[in-house]
Amino acid sequence: MSRATRRLILPGAIAAVIVALVLLAPVLPLDDVRGMDIPHRFAPPSAAHWLGQDEFGRDVLARLIWGGRASLFIAFGSALAAAVIGTTLGLLGGYFRGVVELLTVRAAEIILCLPPLLLALLVVTILGAGTWPLILALTILYTPNYARVVYAATQQVRGLDFVTAQRAMGTHPLVILIRTILPNVLPPLLVQASLVVASAMVIESGLSFLGLGVVPPTPSWGLMIRAARGAMEVAPLLLVWPSLALAGTILTFNLLCDRLQSALDPRSVTAGGALWLRPRARSASKPATRPAASEEAPLLEIEGLSIAVNDLELVRRVTLSVRPGETMALVGESGSGKTLTGLALTGLLPDTLRVTGGTALYTPREGAPIDLAQLDEEAFRALRGTEISMVFQDAAAALNPVLRIGDQVAEAIRVHHALDGAAMQARVVELLRHVGIPDPERRARAYPHELSGGQRQRAMIAVAIANNPRLLIADEPTTALDPTIQAQILQLFAQLKRDTPGMGMIFVTHDLAVVAEIADRVTVMYAGEVVEEGPVTEVFARPRHPYTAALIASVPEGGAERLVAIPGAVPSPHKMPSGCRFAPRCTHAKPVCTQSAPRRSHPSDTRLTRCFRWEEVT
Amino acid sequence: MTTRLNRRGFLATTGAAGALSFLGPKVLRAQEDGTLRFGLSTYPPSFDAWASNGTAAGTIKVMCHRGLLSYDAEGALRGELAETWDVDDDGVWTFNLREAKWHDGSPVTAEDVAWTITEVQKPDSAAYLQNQLATITSVETPDDKTVVLITSEPQAVLPEWFANYNMPILKKGSARDDLMGAGPFKVEAIDRGVSITVTANPDYYKEGLPKVERIEAIVYADENLRIAALEAGDVDIVEYVPWQAMAQVGDNPALKLDTTFGPFMYLTFNASKPPFDNPLVRRAVGHAIKREDIAAAAFYERGAPLEHLPIPDASAFFNPEFANEWNYDPEKAKALLAEAGYADGFDCTMLSTAQYGMHQSTAEVCQAYLSMIGINVTLDLPEWSTRVKKGNEGTYDLAVMGTAAANNDPDGLATVIDGSLASAYSRSYGLETPEISELFAKGRTIFDTEERKAVYKELEKVAIETAPIMGLCWREQGYGMAANVEGFANIPGQLTFHSGITLEDAMLG
Amino acid sequence: MLRYIALRSLVALFLVWVVVTVVFLLLHLIPGDPAELLLSTGNIAADPAAVAALREKMGLNEPLWQQYISHMAGVLSGDLGASFRDGASVIEQIALRLPRTLEVILAAALIATGIGVPLGTFAAIRADGKADAAISFFASAALSTPVFVVGSVVILIFAQQLKILPAGGFVDFSEDPVEHLKLLLLPAGTVALALLAVIIRMSRASVLEVLQRDYVRTARAKGLSRGPILRRHVVRNALIPVLTVLGLEMGTLIGGTVLVEFVFNWPGLSGYLVSAVDARDYPEVVGIVMTISVLFVFLNLVVDVVNALFDPRISLVTS
Repeated sequence: MSRATRRLILPGAIAAVIVALVLLAPVLPLDDVRGMDIPHRFAPPSAAHWLGQDEFGRDVLARLIWGGRASLFIAFGSALAAAVIGTTLGLLGGYFRGVVELLTVRAAEIILCLPPLLLALLVVTILGAGTWPLILALTILYTPNYARVVYAATQQVRGLDFVTAQRAMGTHPLVILIRTILPNVLPPLLVQASLVVASAMVIESGLSFLGLGVVPPTPSWGLMIRAARGAMEVAPLLLVWPSLALAGTILTFNLLCDRLQSALDPRSVTAGGALWLRPRARSASKPATRPAASEEAPLLEIEGLSIAVNDLELVRRVTLSVRPGETMALVGESGSGKTLTGLALTGLLPDTLRVTGGTALYTPREGAPIDLAQLDEEAFRALRGTEISMVFQDAAAALNPVLRIGDQVAEAIRVHHALDGAAMQARVVELLRHVGIPDPERRARAYPHELSGGQRQRAMIAVAIANNPRLLIADEPTTALDPTIQAQILQLFAQLKRDTPGMGMIFVTHDLAVVAEIADRVTVMYAGEVVEEGPVTEVFARPRHPYTAALIASVPEGGAERLVAIPGAVPSPHKMPSGCRFAPRCTHAKPVCTQSAPRRSHPSDTRLTRCFRWEEVT
Repeated sequence: MTTRLNRRGFLATTGAAGALSFLGPKVLRAQEDGTLRFGLSTYPPSFDAWASNGTAAGTIKVMCHRGLLSYDAEGALRGELAETWDVDDDGVWTFNLREAKWHDGSPVTAEDVAWTITEVQKPDSAAYLQNQLATITSVETPDDKTVVLITSEPQAVLPEWFANYNMPILKKGSARDDLMGAGPFKVEAIDRGVSITVTANPDYYKEGLPKVERIEAIVYADENLRIAALEAGDVDIVEYVPWQAMAQVGDNPALKLDTTFGPFMYLTFNASKPPFDNPLVRRAVGHAIKREDIAAAAFYERGAPLEHLPIPDASAFFNPEFANEWNYDPEKAKALLAEAGYADGFDCTMLSTAQYGMHQSTAEVCQAYLSMIGINVTLDLPEWSTRVKKGNEGTYDLAVMGTAAANNDPDGLATVIDGSLASAYSRSYGLETPEISELFAKGRTIFDTEERKAVYKELEKVAIETAPIMGLCWREQGYGMAANVEGFANIPGQLTFHSGITLEDAMLG
Repeated sequence: MLRYIALRSLVALFLVWVVVTVVFLLLHLIPGDPAELLLSTGNIAADPAAVAALREKMGLNEPLWQQYISHMAGVLSGDLGASFRDGASVIEQIALRLPRTLEVILAAALIATGIGVPLGTFAAIRADGKADAAISFFASAALSTPVFVVGSVVILIFAQQLKILPAGGFVDFSEDPVEHLKLLLLPAGTVALALLAVIIRMSRASVLEVLQRDYVRTARAKGLSRGPILRRHVVRNALIPVLTVLGLEMGTLIGGTVLVEFVFNWPGLSGYLVSAVDARDYPEVVGIVMTISVLFVFLNLVVDVVNALFDPRISLVTS
């Protein structure tokens, strides 16, 4: 039983008890709800009257249960009637469409133009107060809700293969509707029903409270509350019972509705929250173990970095390094862990993922190297933007849609530099011009959706370089763009490299053509592991891992959109092969490859590969 | 009191008062600008000067209008527009008017009085006292300040008519619902359904009155809120203190409770059709209901059974032999029903109102008891103004009603039981009472008390037999006010609804 | 943009026409004589003279289409007829009372947004924690407790016991602004409580959703601290659906403050409606229902348009 289903038990059980109580009211040993006992009015709870007696000496418990019966009768009655009518309308409208839809669903929706309570009052005006007018009013009120829900669900189901098949076989539409579609639209119907019951009770009790609903002496919670209000000073408990009963029952049905919704449609529940927002104690960042940087010290040196979700390793013992001014390309298919590695370096991993091992020593402008694998949110925050910065893949999603471009750039600057209005404006325009946005004064006032894809990516880059980071991580910055724009953006990166010689760059991509164009060195990842590393020219000239070789082979001359032609797919993290992870797809695989994982090998000083047979096959 | 303890607990634990302290202590706005705030129980269904429309309407009318006479705080007759009045041996009444001005500045003349009387007398006037005034055969105005009234028969109780709050004098040619009168207050603003604001009339004929500059009559239709408003200091006086709250108001040192016994509850019948056209059925209803339970449930023991015509036992006209003629006797009730041909009972609709809790409670108790003799009652509980309309139109089978007689004289009961009067919600609908009407007429012509006693004894005897209404219970009627309100008094007995007259003396100490 | 507004307005106008027609037909198509229907109670037949008078007054003796045309003509010229009860002009009464109801709703919306958005955001940040559970339960409880219960309790506490606020009533703003606002506080607060529940739930869901968005990650990558990220990026975007829901809820409230107005003696439009329903004063009821429905339809229109303005992404032409 899932958690969502378990959470249904409590409200479901309470609702069942309430329904059972009111259903059993006639056979329970309850006092006559109209039986007055005026000498004992306002008597406190006693053995004979568990909840005491009301202003006419009537038994409160009996009136509470019978009152619930009146309320629930109206609520369930109207919910049921509305369900039957609304479902019929929705099924017909959703299945037949066209004129039928107009006459059913759209016609019913007109009722939605009337605020709920108004319609009820209108019916009461015409028919007078009482139980049946209320049921009628509430039925009219809730019919369109059902019609809409069922209509939408029918629409979805209608297009499914098995319905099409039945239609093709000449099954009567009515039979299809009842046999096939109805069971499929039941879940949203159930949710709607519990919602309607709760809402109908609110309206019923309100109208009865106003004296426009149930007529005394028929007990009703609304009426009981109204009566008890007068005697509040004499017998406050009389107000408590019906209020509790009413609020409790409505609460139960509301909870039931919520939890039904999450049990029946788990997708609708957004999980999580954001751990980074919660202040929490985490082990303070340990001082780096390595002595202060020597001249040739890399900007970033990752050693054995692992990332896992729960106990599932997605990235395993990644090792790579970036020197100042160097561009490192991180290459691999989707799911190879290259983007996660990039996110881990800025502490932006999704909440469910965490770094489980290894170190990532980063050498800041000043001070000792920092182990990025140990930092908490606050420490990362100090580094972001000014030391390490990131360009994201989909600029359209990565830019805030409701803020102007200029403001988003300015915001980034403001984190590390206090600039006043005009100076800030000048700096923003300068940055935008720097990344090649035409007419930057005007574009600064534009919203992201008003820019072209290429311009958005340029703006994204402007945000990333606003504080002259020492390490720029670009996560597939050209993937979402068409080829001409891609080329322009790559030129921009190349220019940035020239303009800021000390800046290191990690360029995450799956596009080898891009790698060849921009990177100094390349790290190839496969299934969460680094399989090969080395200078771009050397690796391209002579790959030392079958995967790299296959990658290069799959790229047609002149570059291509996607990597193709490697048979099979990247294994899922649940089913990692025990030996070499590439073995199942490798044309050179031997039994040894599946027995144990290959270690790192160094074909030369600058090269690395993770293959048992590199010497033989490459 | 537990509530006080709760309050302290609340303060101590939540500190909510601190959070809200910016609102400051509640100051009585009234004391600053001389405005008295009066909590009305309902918005007047109409301002018709001469029709009866309930207490709230009456209170507004006595702010703006004055009649020839009125009652003082003890209930004694006193002059208003008429300074003196007299009757000669032939039963001719002479009223001498004082120097008084209408709100528009013109003087009140004998001609205005004569016009008013003529208007009320018209058969279709639907005035509360139309029938009584119809006995005035001639109105003479020998000069501007003298009105001479000649009646077909001598009328002993004529001054009482002109003291009634439903009998104010209007300026000749005024609309009936025009609040332009000669009273102590002028209308300043009317917010329909919400409030009526009146300001002091500087030309009022009583020196130094009224004592407050302005009265804001605010409708608090919900009786619980009306008391809450009084307790919170939002209003200075409220009418119709709900019975369940009387003890609470009386115990509160910041408030005063002023009650009187006088008004009574009764049932009216729709006699224009079966089954209540049958006096046996009407009497059966009377014997079916245990009055003590109404006094307890609707009036929180501030009521007393009424099993005869509503003549108080302190009155000289009280007939002890009839005191329990309509007593609770279910067996007798069933026998009467059987005799009338309804042995198995019947279904009917009972009109009452949800606006006054005691009207509804009375109806609920009656409903419970009537069901025991087989009469299945469906309640109809609209708000007051609708209830009045339905009562006037006879849209009911039987109805719960509460009122006071027009005055403390038994003749005041005519407005409740005299079937010859135009149909009104305070009387049974479509019920002819020829004998009773005759006896009322006779009683009015007699000046000698002993003789009159005999007439009204005969009248009550007829009434007991025919049950034109069914008495249920006497009730206390209370006004609640802030402790600093002075001068306002609940006029005793049947005159309680005239209490608005004393608003001219009211002030905030 | 203009085209979009024009198109939506046309649809709204059409809806208004439909609503007016439906309300008109509601009484006339029910079997039986409308006049008799309105005058009878339970099993008591109405007085034939009164029925005849009412038929005359309502123009029921004319053919239905003629009644419909004169009804529509009246509506178009702003004439909603006169009250059965005392002949007062219905449109004047509505004009007097509608602003008071709107005032309560607006004040309630302000209070509810001011409290609800931060609470909902907090709940989202602490999603699935204890604070989240507590806030969510509070929201459910607030949603489930009928306003007349809440109203009675707050009167008891603030007016009768603490005596810091008036129990109820109304004073015109021009007459006494301070008193006016004090009187507004309890009814607006009570309405706000119900709204609060909706806003908390919506803010929580919306914030949770926005937190997963890429641009929040971008904001973090810039090195922004929690406050600015929440304010500028999370809440600002999360507000859009919240405001949409708020707008729709406010539309529902225009006719839904009945109970609050009753409990606090606030002389707004809803209270007027209840007394009209109670008296079965048909012209008044129809006039008020129509006014509110029209407002409701146009409020929805405004919500859509404002939404479009607020969220520059929405393509105004295609929708």
